[in-house]
Amino acid sequence: MAEEFEPKIVAFLCKWCSSAGSDLAGVSRMQYPPNVIPITVMCSGSVSPLYIFSAFNKGADGVLVSGCHPGDCHYIKGNFYARRRIALVKKLLEYVGLEPERFQMSWISAAEGVKYTKVIKDFVQELKPLGPQKKLRRTQ
Amino acid sequence: MVNLEELKKEASQILKEGKVKYIIGFQRGSNGLLPVPAFIKNPKDVEKLVWDPTCVYNLTLFLQDEKRKKTKEKEPDERPVGIVVKGCDSRAINVLLQEEFIKRDDVYVLGVSCENTGVLDEKKLAKKLKGKKAKKVEFGANDDFVITTEDGNIKIAAQEVLAERCLECKAHFPVIYDVLIGEKTKRNVENPFKSLEKIESLPPEERWKFWKEQIEKCIRCYACRSVCPMCYCDECVADTINFVVTPDTSAEEKAQKIKWLEKSPVSSENFVYHFVRAIHLAGRCIDCGECERVCPLDIPVRFLNKKLEKEAKELFDYDVGFDPDKPSLVSSFKDDDPEDFIR
Repeated sequence: MAEEFEPKIVAFLCKWCSSAGSDLAGVSRMQYPPNVIPITVMCSGSVSPLYIFSAFNKGADGVLVSGCHPGDCHYIKGNFYARRRIALVKKLLEYVGLEPERFQMSWISAAEGVKYTKVIKDFVQELKPLGPQKKLRRTQ
Repeated sequence: MVNLEELKKEASQILKEGKVKYIIGFQRGSNGLLPVPAFIKNPKDVEKLVWDPTCVYNLTLFLQDEKRKKTKEKEPDERPVGIVVKGCDSRAINVLLQEEFIKRDDVYVLGVSCENTGVLDEKKLAKKLKGKKAKKVEFGANDDFVITTEDGNIKIAAQEVLAERCLECKAHFPVIYDVLIGEKTKRNVENPFKSLEKIESLPPEERWKFWKEQIEKCIRCYACRSVCPMCYCDECVADTINFVVTPDTSAEEKAQKIKWLEKSPVSSENFVYHFVRAIHLAGRCIDCGECERVCPLDIPVRFLNKKLEKEAKELFDYDVGFDPDKPSLVSSFKDDDPEDFIR
């Protein structure tokens, strides 16, 4: 039997909330799919759209950007900037015809280990029927 | 009616008074219908200035060169530069002011009105004339263009030969100016984003097919980047330097010279380039349409920028280039920005 497709997800997690949230999920021994490649960034507001395009370009099947809940940002307003920028990136990617499920954003606080596992589980569930992302992937 | 004599008089006066260093305007070229940019220092040369529907270029591009030149000079001439702008170009000046790329005292804006019409699309006109050669195009009295050909004058309704972007124009007159020549006319545009509907209404897979076909054509000549008055970064992410990593390469060097995308013009790399350009122009593109006009492969680049302009309007109620004192789109936020896409 052919092996089931396992999507590769690149997750940009902010250091202060989402990354701590994923840590909590880890130390609490919660089970979640091992498809995520977490990249800790200082703030969701520091995620340049170029990181996202580059991730898709280098073969990510899905990209997740996660930050603190609005109002909880360590840098006071970084995630508000992120929200605006990511909305534009999302619209642009959908406009050229990339499946909207492939690019997601979430708010995960340091205490929300359970939410982190849920977000990842859902993400993987949604990506599996789509198959590998070939549209923006570098071919050479 | 735009009075060209008025423009010349004003230009010659400010040059004589020494109010400006020089004036950037349009003059007749030696080849074809389109004019060429003119840089006028001598008051005698103002006779060369023209303003008609063939003046399609966005001259604010040259403010970049001016700024670069100025930073290199030891004792720069602090006088402003005179510049002839249409409605759309004037919004480019507003954006440059907003970003503090230039100061208000750096420019003396000679605004010209588009007289309820706009500028010409050369390809549309060529089709319309069916092989005849136009020698001269002028604004007509009733929203039309008077075109001089070998066989005499022809009147064509402006709507038929206007550039695509002029059909969706939001300001037919300069929104910022020191001197305004012509009238502040306003034509009602029902839907400024109408041209997008054709692509937006397609199902996602069709849309992908369309864009892939278009972006694949790109040969990465970077003409769109060169002609854009907003693309003024000293170093572009698309110009990745060929970087060889040796044992001596420091971590800092490695971190600063990331190869984000390959130079080869293949679809995947072209997409990264065009995405980056579109996102960089979000909330800054004033839709002068120059990128699309200069594209040697006729890629509808404008539709990428236009789409983000539309989203900026719909999601964040942001109009580009009307108020230089407002914070820019991505450097500001509202508490109630939409977040229905966030989990």
